Amino acid sequence: MRHSPRGGVGRTSVSDDAQFHPPQALFAISTTSIHPPVDPASASYLQISPRIQAGPHIKSTMSNPFTLNGGACLAMTGKDCVAIACDLRLGQQALTLSNNFPKVFNYGDVWLGLTGLATDVQTIHSLFRYKVNLYRLREEREIEPETMANLVSSTLYERRFGPYYVSPVVAGINQRTGKPFICGFDSIGCIDFAKDFIVSGTASDQLFGVAEGLWEPDLEADELFETISQTLLNSLDRDALAGWGAHVYIIKKDSVTKRLLRTRQD
Amino acid sequence: MASSYLLPHAQHAPHAHPTASSQPRQHHWSPYTENGGVILGIAGKDYVIIAGDTRSSEGYNINTRTARKIFQLGSGIILGVVGMSADGEELARKVARKIDDYKRNHDKHITVSAAAVMLSRTLYQKRFFPYYCQPLLGGLDENGVGAIYTYDYVGSFEREQSRAFGSAAALITPFLDNQINLKNQFVPGSNGEEPRTPGDMPRDLVEKIVKDAFSSAVERQIEVGDGLQMVTVTRAPPRAEEEEATVEDDDEWTGSTISETLSPLKQD
Repeated sequence: MRHSPRGGVGRTSVSDDAQFHPPQALFAISTTSIHPPVDPASASYLQISPRIQAGPHIKSTMSNPFTLNGGACLAMTGKDCVAIACDLRLGQQALTLSNNFPKVFNYGDVWLGLTGLATDVQTIHSLFRYKVNLYRLREEREIEPETMANLVSSTLYERRFGPYYVSPVVAGINQRTGKPFICGFDSIGCIDFAKDFIVSGTASDQLFGVAEGLWEPDLEADELFETISQTLLNSLDRDALAGWGAHVYIIKKDSVTKRLLRTRQD
Repeated sequence: MASSYLLPHAQHAPHAHPTASSQPRQHHWSPYTENGGVILGIAGKDYVIIAGDTRSSEGYNINTRTARKIFQLGSGIILGVVGMSADGEELARKVARKIDDYKRNHDKHITVSAAAVMLSRTLYQKRFFPYYCQPLLGGLDENGVGAIYTYDYVGSFEREQSRAFGSAAALITPFLDNQINLKNQFVPGSNGEEPRTPGDMPRDLVEKIVKDAFSSAVERQIEVGDGLQMVTVTRAPPRAEEEEATVEDDDEWTGSTISETLSPLKQD
């Protein structure tokens, strides 16, 4: 709370010289800073690559909550259909803890994929179950995918300075218009409306590469299933932090097919 | 994407920073730069393709849109290098010189397998100040079969069928697994029991896949783009019977034909 300029009320007892201390982060996220503290040991030119030391995507998993538990998620559009898929791995760095940890959740007519820190995945899932249930009671109808996108965005932005470490993906078909809808978010709620596909998780580079090569517009439901499955499977095989089975949802206006993919178990 | 919105780190907060007047500031120079780009190599039954983009960048700046990353080293051997372009070019010059020396000393062309070992030794010679580049060596082996040799910075190497190196390697590698090595694909009607076997792929199909891989990478990786350089080694067409080989002819005869094409990629 800020000091009240009028005085009298509020936190006037706080002494003026109290310094602002940034909240202690649970995970210290360090990125390359403009003026890095110079460590004589690391100043040697023998350390080959600046990218290997401090590259944004080759960070130690303990300091990066987004890659601690591993996992991948992918959504794609087709002709009058959408698909959303995820892997099943839950790990702690290189150690696999579970091979049955789905990352796609359903809220009526909307599907939400969540990758990132597993505890936040579960927290966010129960939070949205709560919020969508309240929405359904108040509105007496199911939430639309576009509305869900804005709900996810504003919910994440509420935690702008202490974010949930998740990269959500929304998919669904608008039951009023019949229009397929997908979108993705960063961890503080910036929406990425995509016409083609959305990727998230530790295999996102691989997913981008394969999806860009395999996806084409107006795929029928069965073609879309093949495309999203091949994209996910081949990407998972090149990511040590994701895999161990997959769930694929093919969503049409009045039918949903959920398939479990058998994959390599390594 | 695993982006991070950092909380202010204690050391980076303004008040914890040494001010310009009170503390000496240490400047740092690095002998290495990263020039981006991506290369890929595919070995077929009787051909080898190494392809690379022609962008050379430093950070967000593009130094040139027409930098070639694939070099013809002589004796039917080609080399693709990605990483620091200065080191890559120096390495290519050095190996080309050694291949030429080999020909003069032994009066015969070096084989790819011998050149592969030679490149490994060349990299290891600089074990404690390595060339900052990832090389991909290609050529036809003693049986005329395509060979790709891949290396790390200090010379450990392996013969492979296909490999992508560089800033879009993570994007291209799984695509190649799927389209060249037919990973996760099964024979239709076999109910997922019989995997498709990667057989002899026709060269024109592989060239199409290579172009697709690059145009996909260009869409999502800013360090890749501008142009596609594709260098192919094939068996030379058999010489006519009446054309008797002379000593001079044999001197140049490698049994390989190298062709090079340049095609545009998106420039944004």
